[in-house]
Amino acid sequence: MEQFFQQLTNGLAIGGIYALIALGYTLVYGVLKLINFAHGDLFTIGAFLGLSLLTAFSLTDKLGFAMGVGALVLMVVCLVGIIGILLDQAAYKPLRTSPRLSAVVSALGMSIVFSNAIMLVFGPNPEVYPHGILPSSALNIFGLPFPVKRLMLLLTSLVLMAALYFFIQKTTIGAAIRAAAIDQDAARLMGINVNRVIMLIFFIGPALGGAAGVMVGLYYGQIKWTMGWLYGLKAFTAAILGGIGNIPGAMVGGLLLGVIESLGSAYISMAWKDAITFVVLILILIVRPTGLLGERVAEKI
Amino acid sequence: MKKILFLIAALSMIAAGTALAADTVKIGLTAPITGSWAAEGQDMKQICELLADQVNADGGLLGKEVEVVVADDGGNEQTAALAAQRLATKGIVAVVGTYGSSVTEASQGIYNAAKIPQIANGSTAVRLTEKGLKYFFRTSPRDDEQGRVAAKTLMGMGYKKIAILHDNTTYAKGLAEETKALLDKEPVELVFFDALTPGEQDYTTILTTLKTKDAEVVFFTGYYPEAGLMLRQKKEMGFDVPFVGGDATNNPDLVKIAGKDAAEGFYFISPPVPQDLPSKEAKDFLAAYTKKYGAAPGSIWAVLSGDGFRVMVEAIKQTKSTDPDKIADYLHTGMKDFPGLTGSISFDGKGDRVGDVYRVYKVDAEGGFILQ
Repeated sequence: MEQFFQQLTNGLAIGGIYALIALGYTLVYGVLKLINFAHGDLFTIGAFLGLSLLTAFSLTDKLGFAMGVGALVLMVVCLVGIIGILLDQAAYKPLRTSPRLSAVVSALGMSIVFSNAIMLVFGPNPEVYPHGILPSSALNIFGLPFPVKRLMLLLTSLVLMAALYFFIQKTTIGAAIRAAAIDQDAARLMGINVNRVIMLIFFIGPALGGAAGVMVGLYYGQIKWTMGWLYGLKAFTAAILGGIGNIPGAMVGGLLLGVIESLGSAYISMAWKDAITFVVLILILIVRPTGLLGERVAEKI
Repeated sequence: MKKILFLIAALSMIAAGTALAADTVKIGLTAPITGSWAAEGQDMKQICELLADQVNADGGLLGKEVEVVVADDGGNEQTAALAAQRLATKGIVAVVGTYGSSVTEASQGIYNAAKIPQIANGSTAVRLTEKGLKYFFRTSPRDDEQGRVAAKTLMGMGYKKIAILHDNTTYAKGLAEETKALLDKEPVELVFFDALTPGEQDYTTILTTLKTKDAEVVFFTGYYPEAGLMLRQKKEMGFDVPFVGGDATNNPDLVKIAGKDAAEGFYFISPPVPQDLPSKEAKDFLAAYTKKYGAAPGSIWAVLSGDGFRVMVEAIKQTKSTDPDKIADYLHTGMKDFPGLTGSISFDGKGDRVGDVYRVYKVDAEGGFILQ
């Protein structure tokens, strides 16, 4: 039983990261019906920018731990968000009226451009975040050792997700985003500036990915230019699992994927981890083709 | 008339181009310049280029300059196969590399079919030389030898419950199976035998499983990025089990990733690290390398690529030709105790290096690798 809870928390920690990245996929898909394949690389950019800013300004030394990390995340979130907007302006906006496939190809191209740019700028070697930024102590919860770090990781991703959920559901701008997701033309007729909404989406999505990048860097320590691919793939899977285009779906999908991975490799086979994960995905899609929380999408004529 | 003149001009330029190209002896190098093993690949490139400069300063080879033609295999099988096909068309007489066994396996058939002698530097998987490829050699030792030393070390530590973890690559799986076969005959319990997925960052699931299996010692046969992350996460979990690594964990980046306090006490089995090489050749070479690049090469594998390069140069020098059959025959039978950087080098009929090179190392509190 102890092992079960331990593995469950292992899965939830990595699942929180998947969920944050998955939100970026799902937000963009919800409004534009476009899969932003460059999203995984925006996550990597976040991780590398975080490292550069951290070492360049020695933030945690000057501002203390909590303020330093807070300032770091804020800076990275803004920078990656701006890169996201530029990405949209450069690669997707000119293709807004073209067939959907063109934008997907453009996204794949941008992914290659980004990952190679990261390699050229930061080098091909894995980079390491400075040690000892996050506290390394462990809390005792119900007799189980629970690293404070992991608790922080999980809490931060839950807080970010909750903030996004309330922003989308409870604010006027959130209502505009939801309206644009349902029908762009109708939203435009209602006086919503759809281009502004798309810009906002391309800020929030990459910003969350960038935040996830910094968190991965701080938590695991080692980052490398190829890591966006694997995380991107897993997060994309999580978005599909939860129902792409649906925000709570991405959160549930991410956490679930992390837990399936962790329990599958603990109780069935470690080497077959990814196979088990994708079999579960296929089974869920057979039963619910739109994903766990996905709405039925009727083709309007 | 103009057209004909243009044609003649173009043709003569092509002729001049090929004549220029023939003025050098080209030796290929396939190395993981990018990817997760880039630290190794960059060193391999620097070492071979330094050695080529030295050969050229001493008057070159067969009266010509030596040129190193580098191809990036990315530490990945698909890229390696493409790189091999590209290199094979570039008129190279021999090729040095590469590091990972599965990567070498993807390229060795291509070089063999093109009759280009290949000399791998980090690929220790047993089966690479069991295929009867005439033009394949390696300066690195084999995993059955490493497995023997690993089993002996693990037995010598006196633990009864042993876990073996690999990462499903040709090399790591081979070494894990070799060691398992040897340990099965001993009075110890093998409590865990499975693979992780390389390239990920979260290995807490595996560590938790190892903990519940009550492993007293873990033998990880994979590579240094994963080993470093596991050491770090193991420490954070408060899981206090000794880790023993295979020779692919022999890289200073291991300590960088894990942090000094998490890496302390980690054992690994490996040929000697560059600083512990005893021969005069090695000392001269390390001095020259440090002078040119500012630091000593990180691991032994890159130095073994230097040995591969030197062996090929010697073979070409001795046979006075670049004919692949002559080079291969010379390496199989003619080369006896060539003074390599990593000790004396001879090859057996399969292309394997003769002799015993493995040592046991332990990481100290300062992150240094200490010979046991």
